[in-house]
Amino acid sequence: MKKVSLNVNGVRRQFIVQPDYVLLDLLRKDLCLTGTKQSCDRKGQCGACTVIVNGKAVRSCLTKVADLDGAEVISIEGLGKPQNPHPIQEAFVLAGAVQCGFCTPGMIMAAKALLDENENPTADDIKKALRRNLCRCTGYKKIIEAIQLAGRFLRGELTPNQVRPDPNQGLIGVSHPRPSAMIKACGVAEFTADVRVPGATELAVVHSPYAHALVKSIDTSEAQKMPGVIGVMTAKDVKGTNRLKYIVSDRPILCDTKVRFIGDPVAAVLAETREQAVAAAEAVKVEYELLPVMMTPEEALAEGAPQIHPDRPNLCYSQPQVRGDAEAALAQSAAVVESDFSTQTNHQAALEPEACVAYLEQENGDLPTLVVIGRSINIHYHMSMLQDAVGYENMRYEEAYSGGQFGIKIDITSEGLAAAAALHFQRPIRYIPSLKESMWLTSKRHAFDMKVRLGADAQGKLMAYAIDFTVNNGAYHSNGNVIVNRAIQMLSGSYYIPTIKAMSRLVYTNTTWGAAARGAGPPQVTYALESAVDMLAEKMGIDALEFRLMNLLKPGQPRSTGRVVEQWPLPELIEAIRPHYDRARNDAAEFNRKDGVRKRGVGLGIGSFGIGGPGDTATVAVELDPDGGLTVFAAAADPGEGNDSMLTQIAAHLMDLPMEKIRLVTRDTERTTATGPAAGSRITYMVGRAMVDAIDKLKAAMVEGNAASHEQLRAIGRPIRYIGTKKNEDAGPLDPQTGQGPSFESQVHAVQLAEVEVNTANGEVRVNKMTTAVDAGRVINPKNLEGQLEGGMDMGVGFALREKYVEGQTKDWVSFKFPTIGHSFEMETIIRETPRIKGPLGATGVGEMTMVPTAPAVMNAIANACGARVRHLPATPDKVLAALAEVSPLGIPGGIISNGVKG
Amino acid sequence: MEGVAQAVARRQEFGEKVRRIVGREITFDGEGFFWDPHQWDEEVAESLAEEAGLKELSETHWRILRFLREYYLQNGRSPLNRQIKEGTGISLMQMETLFPGGIKYGARRLAGLPNPRTCS
Repeated sequence: MKKVSLNVNGVRRQFIVQPDYVLLDLLRKDLCLTGTKQSCDRKGQCGACTVIVNGKAVRSCLTKVADLDGAEVISIEGLGKPQNPHPIQEAFVLAGAVQCGFCTPGMIMAAKALLDENENPTADDIKKALRRNLCRCTGYKKIIEAIQLAGRFLRGELTPNQVRPDPNQGLIGVSHPRPSAMIKACGVAEFTADVRVPGATELAVVHSPYAHALVKSIDTSEAQKMPGVIGVMTAKDVKGTNRLKYIVSDRPILCDTKVRFIGDPVAAVLAETREQAVAAAEAVKVEYELLPVMMTPEEALAEGAPQIHPDRPNLCYSQPQVRGDAEAALAQSAAVVESDFSTQTNHQAALEPEACVAYLEQENGDLPTLVVIGRSINIHYHMSMLQDAVGYENMRYEEAYSGGQFGIKIDITSEGLAAAAALHFQRPIRYIPSLKESMWLTSKRHAFDMKVRLGADAQGKLMAYAIDFTVNNGAYHSNGNVIVNRAIQMLSGSYYIPTIKAMSRLVYTNTTWGAAARGAGPPQVTYALESAVDMLAEKMGIDALEFRLMNLLKPGQPRSTGRVVEQWPLPELIEAIRPHYDRARNDAAEFNRKDGVRKRGVGLGIGSFGIGGPGDTATVAVELDPDGGLTVFAAAADPGEGNDSMLTQIAAHLMDLPMEKIRLVTRDTERTTATGPAAGSRITYMVGRAMVDAIDKLKAAMVEGNAASHEQLRAIGRPIRYIGTKKNEDAGPLDPQTGQGPSFESQVHAVQLAEVEVNTANGEVRVNKMTTAVDAGRVINPKNLEGQLEGGMDMGVGFALREKYVEGQTKDWVSFKFPTIGHSFEMETIIRETPRIKGPLGATGVGEMTMVPTAPAVMNAIANACGARVRHLPATPDKVLAALAEVSPLGIPGGIISNGVKG
Repeated sequence: MEGVAQAVARRQEFGEKVRRIVGREITFDGEGFFWDPHQWDEEVAESLAEEAGLKELSETHWRILRFLREYYLQNGRSPLNRQIKEGTGISLMQMETLFPGGIKYGARRLAGLPNPRTCS
């Protein structure tokens, strides 16, 4: 032990600590300063725990308190409060640099250390200073802009009030700061691990080290005797179905007879401290009988392959799509390209671990309420899953602030374990899994294998598209069939293709289970289609932009589902990108004349992303408050997209109220309407429109009753609460044989232009710039829209070039190859606003589409640069070199292209 | 190993189903919940009850079904069991036995309440 004296946020205090006790724990556990976050298992990889010690930014997870005697420590809480923020906090909020907010305190502290030394940093200075701080939401662009804005504040060139939008400027199309941004910037927004539960005990989980095995026995005797241990829970202790059923009842909270992938939970240990629980979990002895492992769909579909689930074949879902006679059309086409493509299993990589808190709330002699606090984006549905799984009905789910999402919370994980443990042990539970564990527990982006053929007539008009794709579903179903359907429903992308022949297969394997991931199906199939479009254009000698333009779908024409579209504002986007395309091609050609090894190229990708799927429904309640304000009730989660801005700005606009008079109740099953997941970019379009409907009803009642206030409505006996709904009336399944049928009601469109540089000697690819032209309807908050576009492109480039989840190997942010600020690139956005017929004030969603066209744009740019067509993501240097070798029989790096012409 | 054709045939379990009940087309989700609670009426409820093995809906049944509907239409979500108990004065045990499938999968379906999910 050692006694040290520290000044923390201006207060000097003494602490007696163990030699290895780190500053992160001192701040979070001893001082309850939970603005300092933890993501990377204390490996110093994420920077979320950055604080300032003696004027320098340090990672508090690596900083031993014993070495800090006499030190001056500043955490985010020492910088400013929401009522009196520091200029850097103001700058982050005003620049739109705060999305989920989990990385924000660490970013701000790193920024402060930089600005204290250099009030006028360049972008490169900022990239260097923040090289250890990760962000998954923003693509780093607005963080760099925020720090430069903070510099202007600190230098006295500007004040926050000069930047803050004028309330009289209007509410729609104005970048008013997000309602939640400042509490995130000040570190006082409570994420799940920040919630303090008196007397809470800590859970640790025993995971399977095997991909496929029978559980023969579980010996908990040693673990039970270990210090601090309260008990061990196995499947027999879970009183409900013990299955977390999203669509199919196949995923156990704790495995009973069998494990199906590496990481499957087998037992859970409860102890007084997390360290004790983790130590005891290692002492639980599980006897396994190993079974044949099927890691690929090919293995799982092989003759004689054992079934992974007793009641379901390994081929668990299939949906064809047939439109016209594609085989005949391909035979008649003047040009056809044929290729195979694949995309990798990938992690959504939300920074926050899969934390959950659960406890029993006693109410006056009634059955206690089981309260679950976590990161759900669909609290009512997930609560319903939990009720069945743990066999307890009296439950409430509360959504904490959530450190990123990107599809990972379409389904739940730690909630099942924490809820079951709270009931079994009758104790308050904290389950804060490590990053490695969180990676085991959670869903991933499905890997797709695709074989495509695309044909066009002599004029370059698309005639036919055939695709056969197989999806690795992993060990559990989750929403696998939804992913396949989404891929089928958006199969023809942005184009009119008269004939379609598609087959899809969803296959159980003994790998990590797949579910939603930003875009959820379309990014995978769009990569194949947009690559094939480029290949076909090149084969026919037609410019890639012109080829796309001539084949775009037009209003009145059908998509691959047969549904005719009303709006398709894409030609305007192509024309908007054209000058950038021409400029970029000239720049690349100029560069390539000078450099023999490094080659620059330009690539396009287009995305048309459906929003408001078949039968989608949203429900919102509004109440007119006694003070004239409006409260909006809807379980519209906001894990960082800015749904709080959208709801607040639209409601304030329609009610002619200041934003402060709009109150959102969105996080609690007891007070909200069930309005579906914050997924599929549906919240603005569906929930926003349902809120408009509710407000319309309220205003109609006020007009009819000649009532101007809450009191007057009450006085005439009218309700103060109104329910609004929004539905896609086009409901029902796709035809099981033809895949024709209901589709998405609205679309968001984007054209993306990638400018890359390929080092033909070592295969490394650098993205120099991404430009996107997007039409998401009427824009509610421009900075929020840009933030989604920038973050999506950053994620799309990561997906294209480096990220991959490798079973048993990916265990932290370094092995995942998380894109850092050092990988960030120039981004430019062009926004067009074609009002959507059925959207709220003409708006639609945007968040998921933003990465759909990115990977193909980057791959097309690589091919344009050096002729190398990478067909299997990610395009790591070895794959680029292999692709180069295919087009360079002599294997001479850089020797195959001369000024863009194959030599 | 099951082939693609069988998988295609089996896939309908995941989607909505349109059924004709008392002369009207009504859409149900894969678990038999109403897609649109406004497609419900008392005649439809009686028909669904008969399918579920309830020859007649008693006044006690109706008290629960009406409470469920009123609560849903006012709050935009289904009530918890304790809220149904408070609202109807009927014990949970009695409610569970009154409806085949219990409250969640019996009464809620008969009352025309949707599943709490809408997944695009």
